Order: sequence, then structure tokens, then C-alpha cells
Amino acid sequence: MKSRFDVAIALAYRQTTVLLKNPSIFLPPMLFPLMNLLAFAGGLSRLRHVPGFDFHGGYTAFTFVFVLLQSAAFGGVFAGFGIARDFERGFAKRLLVSAPHRGGILMGYALASLVRWAMIAIVLTIVGLLAGMQIGGSGIDIFGLYALGVIFNLVGLLWAAGVATRFRSVQAAPLMQTPVFIVLFLSPVYVPLHLLQGWIHAVARLNPFTFLVEAGRGLIEGRPTQVATAFGVAAALLVVASVWARTGLARAERAG
Amino acid sequence: MSGERNHGIEVEGLVRAFKDVRAVDGIDLRIEPGEIYGFLGPNGAGKSTTVHMLTTLLPPTAGRATVAGFDVAREGPKVRASIGAALQETALDPFLSGREHLRLQSSLHGIRGQTRKELIETLLARVGLTSAGDRKIRTYSGGMKRRLDLALALIHNPQILFLDEPTTGLDPQSRTALWEEVGRLARDEGVTVFLTTQYLEEADVLADRVGIIDHGKIVAEGTPARLKAEIGKATIEVVPEQNADRERLAALLGRFGEETAARPGAYAVQLDGHGKLPDVIRALDNEDVRAAEINLHQPTLDDVFLAKTGRTLEGAEDA
Repeated sequence: MKSRFDVAIALAYRQTTVLLKNPSIFLPPMLFPLMNLLAFAGGLSRLRHVPGFDFHGGYTAFTFVFVLLQSAAFGGVFAGFGIARDFERGFAKRLLVSAPHRGGILMGYALASLVRWAMIAIVLTIVGLLAGMQIGGSGIDIFGLYALGVIFNLVGLLWAAGVATRFRSVQAAPLMQTPVFIVLFLSPVYVPLHLLQGWIHAVARLNPFTFLVEAGRGLIEGRPTQVATAFGVAAALLVVASVWARTGLARAERAG
Repeated sequence: MSGERNHGIEVEGLVRAFKDVRAVDGIDLRIEPGEIYGFLGPNGAGKSTTVHMLTTLLPPTAGRATVAGFDVAREGPKVRASIGAALQETALDPFLSGREHLRLQSSLHGIRGQTRKELIETLLARVGLTSAGDRKIRTYSGGMKRRLDLALALIHNPQILFLDEPTTGLDPQSRTALWEEVGRLARDEGVTVFLTTQYLEEADVLADRVGIIDHGKIVAEGTPARLKAEIGKATIEVVPEQNADRERLAALLGRFGEETAARPGAYAVQLDGHGKLPDVIRALDNEDVRAAEINLHQPTLDDVFLAKTGRTLEGAEDA
């Protein structure tokens, strides 16, 4: 049956094929979080001795959650670069004229983004475990953590897709990347939220990503807190990002 | 989706405006199933914009169009499932091979398994790319990319094929091969072909009917033969062997038609039906006017374009 799923699977297969054939596309989103994990977990591990640092799973696990979610977001954003490249090179026009169901195009890019992030997440997890990461959470807790990653990956992809379809040029890459970078680093990256002070605490408290990273840390530690809120925030971000991406695609369709 | 090839293309008052510019300005078309329709015009005349609207890449500003029986504005998925399109820019992924492109294109249309495998091999063979099928696109020549583009457009056995300037930049051999394939598709498989081109020869050789678009409006439409017959008759041009014969030559040719522009040293008339080339030669012989050169110029589609727009197709881009 010709459906949007045919389109999505076909496009995801193409994206993954291109990805695997080109280390230059595949490696940066893989190396970036790995470097962060090793740098944060190694160089900043003494932060766990700061008074009031109440995370009991070790600093590697504390950092791992941030880096995992960061890799999810940037995995999505890097996949968005591919969408912009497709528009710039005219390949998107081929997809728009060939795909009977255009809804499948965004789904295809999203599937490919998830496949890419899955590979990164597996490598990150292995490296984290090798570095002595303690996992206190149950299987369900860990599933919850990775589920947050999946949603955040889709949010990153859909955000970048919305920019890519509006500008239809790789030159818009900084516009895809910078806001995500700012959102991630205006959250409790190195210490728990309650240890932040001043303006950064005020901003981090309102930052939607804070809910995800704090809940994620609770899940890996085995002391889940505000998990429902985190999933609610993630779902809300997903809805907003979906509308942003869909309206971007509609704009690209109108532009021809 | 209509599986039968019993619908062509119907267009009524189609308009596409970009801010104040009407790139396509109220065109009407009716293209029968299995017909090859040549859409002629200079760059910027509105050819590609028309193709983009008919292939659902661009929504019309006004008017109505149905392709394969489906409305382009309201039934996009059904239109796209019924058409194949090789657009002006051969948009291929440099990282994929020819086979991988065909695999992607067939998957987009839900073709899988053994059927897909066989189709890919058949099409690669048909466009002469079997041995190059596993090479990455960035190693392909322009002609190879065009041929792959055609194969991609055909993978789901479309009812209607849109070819937007398919032979631009091709060498004569590749061009002829593509013409043969397009002709075969219409003749043997009943595919309706909508072909835009800047090459008059292409339209003349391939098209059953031709539409000429200029400044977004269709200025002439019909079979190439009818269009050429409509605007004029053949011109005969004679260069006398001796300059002294010029006056006698002018008087002689004047009996066959009206004087028209000629090269320096030559005299030319547009034949008005009072005789054909053999009659002119006989008259020259009878009256002992010796000719160094005799040329017969049949009207071309460029003459049609000139007659309808006041410009030649080649010079129209600058107008």
C-alpha cells in the first residue's frame, strides 16, 4: 500500500545509507557528546564534593544524563542540516514531486534522526559504563530516561526541520544550532538546580530542558522525581516543534 | 488512483503570480492520453512554472488543472502517484549510486521485493546504465544523470511523464537516444508526455502537438506541420552565377512569389503556390539563367515563433 509509511521508510533508508557512507557526516554528532562526557566526568568530577550536591549516583552518571540528552538534541539538529542540504541541492524537490504522501517526508527524516541517535546513544552508554557509571534506576527508569532522549531527539529534528524548510539553505545551520546550544547550557549542566545561584538559577528554573535533565538524573539514580512533569514538558515541546516543522514544510511547498 | 491511461491533462485559466509578476497568465491546455505535447518558449516564458504547477510542486494562484483526471490543487497525492517527472535540475544525491536512487524512488511509491529488483535492472538496462549502476552519482556525466533521471521518473509506470528541458546540455548522441525512448514510451506504452524545450528541432521531431508560450501566455498551438503551414510557405533563394543576370533572375522568380529578405548577392522569394522548386529550376533552365546556388527554406517553428511574437526564439531571452 502506498502510504506515508512507505515514504518515511524509503527516506529513512536513504538518510541512513548516506550517513554510513560518510564519516564526515556521522562522526561530529558522535564525537561531540563523547568529548563532553569524558571532559565533564573526568575533569569536573570533584564538583560532587560541593556542599549540597545531593546526587548519589556518582558524577559520571550525573554528567551522562546531560550528555545523553544533549546528544539527542544535537543529533536531531545535525539531521536538520541534511534537510537544508537537500533543499539547497534540489533533492527535496525530487522528494516533493515523487512522494505521493508528503507527510511521510518529515517522518522519514525523523526516523533517520532516531536511527542516528540510537547509534550515538549506544556508544555513549558503553563509554559511560566503561568509565564506571553507576546505574541505580530500574529497567523501567532507564527506559524512561531513553524515552526522554527519543522525544528530545525528535524535538531537535523538528526544530531544525522548521528552520531548514523556511530558509532552504545550509547557511541557516547556525540558526538551527545556536538556540539549542543556549537552551542546553542555560540548564543545570554541572551541578543540581538548587546549587545554581543568581540569574542562572532564575533562567534554569524556567528552562524546559531543566525538567528533562533533572528527571533524567532522578531516573538513572533510581529516585525518580517530577517524571510526569518532564514527559509533559517534552510532549508539549514535541507538539510545538511538530507545528513549526509542518508549517515550514507547507511554506516550502508553497514556494515551489 | 485511476489505473487506466484514459486521462491526459486539462488546464483552464491557469495563473501563477509571484508578487506583481504573472509568470503564467491564464493558460488553457487540453492534452490527450498518449500524446506527446511540446511546450516551447524562451527562458522565463513560464514553461517551468507551468510544469511545477502541473506536478504539484507549486500551487496555482488561479485557474484549474487536472492531471490524469485528478485536480492538482486538491488531489496532490493522487496526481503524484500518476506522474513521473524529470525536472530541469537533475537533483540527484552525489553520495548515492544509480541503483540506490532507483531503490529510493521505487520505495517512495511502495514498490518492494523482487518486483523492485527486476524493475531496477530493467530500467538501468533500458537507459544504458547497467554497468554504471553501482557507481556514485558524482562520477556520472551530464548525459548519464539525465538518463538516470528518466529511469527514476518511469519506475512506477506513470500515466503521464513530465520532461522539463530533458536534453539541455546533452551531446547529440545522448539526445537522439532520449528522443527514441520518449517516442517509444508514447507509442508502445501509451504514456502521455509533457515536454518543455528550447530546442525547436526537439519539438519538431518528437511532439504530436506544440504549444508556444511567451510572457506567460500561449501564443500558438497545433501540430508542428499545421503551425508551420499557418505562418507561411517555403522560401527559395538563388545566387546567380553572373551578376549581370540579377535583373532577369528577379523577374523570373517574381512569377513564383513575393520577394523576401536574402543574403548579399542572392535573390529570394516566398513561394505563393504558383510553382514549386522543380518549376523554378525548369524556368531557370529554359531562360538560361545560370545559378551558382539554389536554396529551399521550409518554414520552421522558429519562423512560427517569429510570426507570433515578433522575435526569434534565440533572441527572445533578451527581449
